[in-house]
Amino acid sequence: MSQLREPAFDRAVALVLRVGAFGCFFVMLAGLMDGLFMTGRIPLDIERAGVLLMIATPVVRVIVACFLFFREKDYKYGWISLGVLIILTLGALFGIGEH
Amino acid sequence: MVTILLLILGFFAGCLGALTGIGGGVLLTPILALHFGIPIREAIGTSLVAVITTSAASSSVHLQRHTTDIRLGMTLELATALGAGVMAYLVGYFNRTVLEGLFAGFLLYSSIMILSKGGKVKPEDDSSPAVNGDLVIPPYEPKRYPLGLGASLFAGALSGLLGIGGGPIKVPVMFIFMGVPLMVATATSNFMIGVTAAASAMVYYRRGDILVEVAAPLAVGVFLGSLLGARLAPRIHTRIVVYLLVGVMLYLAGRLSLHLLQGVL
Repeated sequence: MSQLREPAFDRAVALVLRVGAFGCFFVMLAGLMDGLFMTGRIPLDIERAGVLLMIATPVVRVIVACFLFFREKDYKYGWISLGVLIILTLGALFGIGEH
Repeated sequence: MVTILLLILGFFAGCLGALTGIGGGVLLTPILALHFGIPIREAIGTSLVAVITTSAASSSVHLQRHTTDIRLGMTLELATALGAGVMAYLVGYFNRTVLEGLFAGFLLYSSIMILSKGGKVKPEDDSSPAVNGDLVIPPYEPKRYPLGLGASLFAGALSGLLGIGGGPIKVPVMFIFMGVPLMVATATSNFMIGVTAAASAMVYYRRGDILVEVAAPLAVGVFLGSLLGARLAPRIHTRIVVYLLVGVMLYLAGRLSLHLLQGVL
C-alpha cells in the first residue's frame, strides 16, 4: 500500500511550513528595515525573533503531524512523531549552559 | 553594507539551491568563513537557519503536489534528528582546523561526485510522468527500514557537523534500497531537512553559534532567491548552472585548504 495521497493531511502540514516561512521572512525583513533607521538592540531583537521562529517552524510541523496522526487513530505514526518531538526537546535542553 | 552583501549572497545561494537541488548550506558556510571572517563553527550554525528556510519554502510546494511521504519522512527523522542533535553537541568540542578540514573534504568529494555523474543532480527531471497536470506515482511500500534509518543517522550527523541538508545521502538510499520512487524520495528528503537542521540549530543557538545579525539577512535573501529559482527552474538549462556551482565549490575547497595550511604553518 502506498503511504501517499492524503490531501487534507498534506495541506495542513504545508500550511504550517508556509506560514512559518512567510512569517519569518516578514519578521526578519522588519528587523532589517528597522536596522536601516535605528541602531541598538531593537532591530537585533526583531531579527532574533525571526530566527527563533524559523528554527521553531519544523518543530511546530512535527507537533501538528503528531496531533493529526493521533486524531486519525494512526497510533504507530503518532508515537513515532512523539519520539521525534522528544528528541528535538532533548536537543534543546542539552544545549543549555554549554560553553 | 555587510547586510546588503549578505542579502545578495543569500539570494544567489537560494536561487542556485532551487535550480540545482544543491542546497545553500554547502556554499554559505565556506563563504561566510572565508569572505566574512566568521569562525567556521558560527558559519555552520548561521547557515543552518538558511537551510531550514529553504526546506520550509520548498517542501510546502512539494506537499501541495502530494509527492511527500510524511510517514516515511517522520520515521527516518527519528534517526536524522538524533544524529544531528548529538553531532551538533559534539561539534562544540571540535576545533577550527578539524571543521575546516572536514568541510574542504566534503566540498571536494561532492564536486567529484557531481562531475562523475556528468552534472546530473536531479535525475527526476527526465522522468516525471504527468497526466492531466497530475503527478502519477506508482504504488510502493518502503522496505529495508533498518538500512534507511542507519543511513539517516549518518545523514543527520553530517548535517549537524557541517550545517548542510544531507539530501545526496538520503535520496539514493530511499530510491535504491528502500524502493521509494525518486520523485517521492526527493520530496521526502527535502521535507526531513527542516527537522534535521532544526535539531542541530537549537544546539548551535544555545551555544551562541548562530549570529542573528548574519542569519536574518541571509535567510531573507535565501527565501526570495528560492522563490525565483523555483520559477526559473523549468526554463533554465540546469547542467550549465551545476557546472558553475561545481567551479565555485572547488574554488571554496581550495581556499579553505589554503586557509587551513596558513593556520597550521
